[in-house]
Amino acid sequence: MKYALYIFILLGVFLACRKDKVGYKATPYILDIPSHFPDMIIPSDNPMTAEGVELGRFLFYEKKLSGDNSMNCATCHMPQNSFSDPNQYSTGIDGIQGNRQSMALINMGWENFFFWDGGKTTLEKQILEPVINPIEMHESWKNAVKKLDQDMAYRNMFFRAFGEGGIDSTKAAKAIAQFIRTLISGQSKFDVMYKYENSMPLTAAEQSIFQTIDVEEWAGYDIFKSLDGADCFHCHNGPLMRVKKFSNNGLLPNAFNDLGRAHVTNNPEDNYKFKVPTLRNIALTAPYMHDGRFANLDEVIEHYSSGIHMSSTIDPLIEFGSQGGVQLDAQEKYLLKKFLLTLTDNNFVNNPKFKDPH
Amino acid sequence: MMIKLISAIIVFMFLVTSCKKDDVTPPATQYLQVDVIPTYTNGGAMKMNLDSVYTTPEGYQVKFTDVKFYTSTLKNESINLLQSSLFDYRETGGIMLRTSGDYTKFANLQGFIGVDSVLNHSDPSAFPNESPLNISNAGPMHWGWNPGYIFMNIEGKVDTIPDGINNLNHSFSFHIGTDLYRRDFSFTNLNWLKISDSERKLNLKLDLWKFLHNPISSIDLKSEFLTHTASGQQPLTEKVISNFQQSLQPY
Repeated sequence: MKYALYIFILLGVFLACRKDKVGYKATPYILDIPSHFPDMIIPSDNPMTAEGVELGRFLFYEKKLSGDNSMNCATCHMPQNSFSDPNQYSTGIDGIQGNRQSMALINMGWENFFFWDGGKTTLEKQILEPVINPIEMHESWKNAVKKLDQDMAYRNMFFRAFGEGGIDSTKAAKAIAQFIRTLISGQSKFDVMYKYENSMPLTAAEQSIFQTIDVEEWAGYDIFKSLDGADCFHCHNGPLMRVKKFSNNGLLPNAFNDLGRAHVTNNPEDNYKFKVPTLRNIALTAPYMHDGRFANLDEVIEHYSSGIHMSSTIDPLIEFGSQGGVQLDAQEKYLLKKFLLTLTDNNFVNNPKFKDPH
Repeated sequence: MMIKLISAIIVFMFLVTSCKKDDVTPPATQYLQVDVIPTYTNGGAMKMNLDSVYTTPEGYQVKFTDVKFYTSTLKNESINLLQSSLFDYRETGGIMLRTSGDYTKFANLQGFIGVDSVLNHSDPSAFPNESPLNISNAGPMHWGWNPGYIFMNIEGKVDTIPDGINNLNHSFSFHIGTDLYRRDFSFTNLNWLKISDSERKLNLKLDLWKFLHNPISSIDLKSEFLTHTASGQQPLTEKVISNFQQSLQPY
């Protein structure tokens, strides 16, 4: 009986001292979404975490993801260019050029289609592509993961981001997607104009910006959305400055005869249709169009004014296409450009949270 | 003693069984779906498909590329059905709305073609994510500034030169919005079709033949091909929304 009591006490002490298994839990990341933006829908299998975003930032700028360790995502999506490429076509590690312009990475968390033809429907799927594309980073994910796995800092970051050991392409893509979802631009002059026009309250800082908006910028905005003016708003609309659609905007087919959306759908009705991009930071993302054919905003404006090429799939909303375009005069073009410059968000391009952490 | 014990057990069992709660199966949620079937034939019996080419009475070749419209404040007198719905033929096929509800309460249905005035001027980002009025769902159906939503949007291509060359090189685009052009509808004696024990469906017809070739106010696509409800476009705007209102009826 005496022994039984000792055993009982010993068991009690043992159980009391047993360490519970501790699961690592990453820190939820709260996105800084402007008040006039819709909610961003985050995929349930890739919740935003501070550790995931930080890992994604490192990977975005990680050259080990390319075959010869010379390129990273930022090579073709440069922060100073609002995460776009100032070159008409990006050049991969083997010196091979693509045939489409790199898209700017702005407010991607609200997108449902990626690439100019919408060939991918999630950010996570899209991110897997440039690494393995032979004309881009030209690396297998197996090798890329192996290189990352040799770096203890990455092993630790992956553990902290996902609460388990091991590195793979799915986790890498998820982390980069988390980082890209933080690339939110909503602090331009245009945002103040948009909020004012929709009777939304302005903060003190926005009131100050409001005072700096001049009459030419307001006049340019009127031309932008006027049916008898530039008529831009059908495709570039709302706080995100784009609508979700694929459109043939009257460009002459290029030398590659790029069919755009029809590559994905195989539907001739989609010939020469491309994803409508946002106009945010448009002054920073030259050259323009899916093939970077226009070097500056003046050329873009001239296209819509007098350079429209009619075809069977042209967007019906290019309403003055049969006349060659909206026929703006010199003053209207000047004012329209003034408005387009209000879309520049310097806080976005200078945000230290988006810079190379290496 | 034994008799007392047996009596006590019987009383106890009786009390226990009498207090047992019956299993209550909650009533299954009833769903209501409203479909819109666009048609384009004289008489309106044949379904219209986007991007398919049809011939107008004038001999023009015509195809529709987009048919979208909002309805709002859907109810039967004081019984509400839904705040708003967005019909988008290309994106969601023929489904106008799907919601929970008891069909027996909606033998009649009233509402607006367009968006109720208060909703029309609210922050389009502030609606719940699943609301058709949320800017993410409205997309190009919101004008981006205070006039609010496009209530009705019909777009397409037409070839107005009957030269035998089918190039459909002329666009038409009807975008109707602003409070002045919101219209109401009232459908009575509705026939909700039984799809399953928990689902009923109502079919509406959108007669695009009647929309373009209304015997009282037909739209000639050669000269009447564009309105965005702007000043100077009132006559066509009025004609378009009026024809649309008449074209939407229970099937």
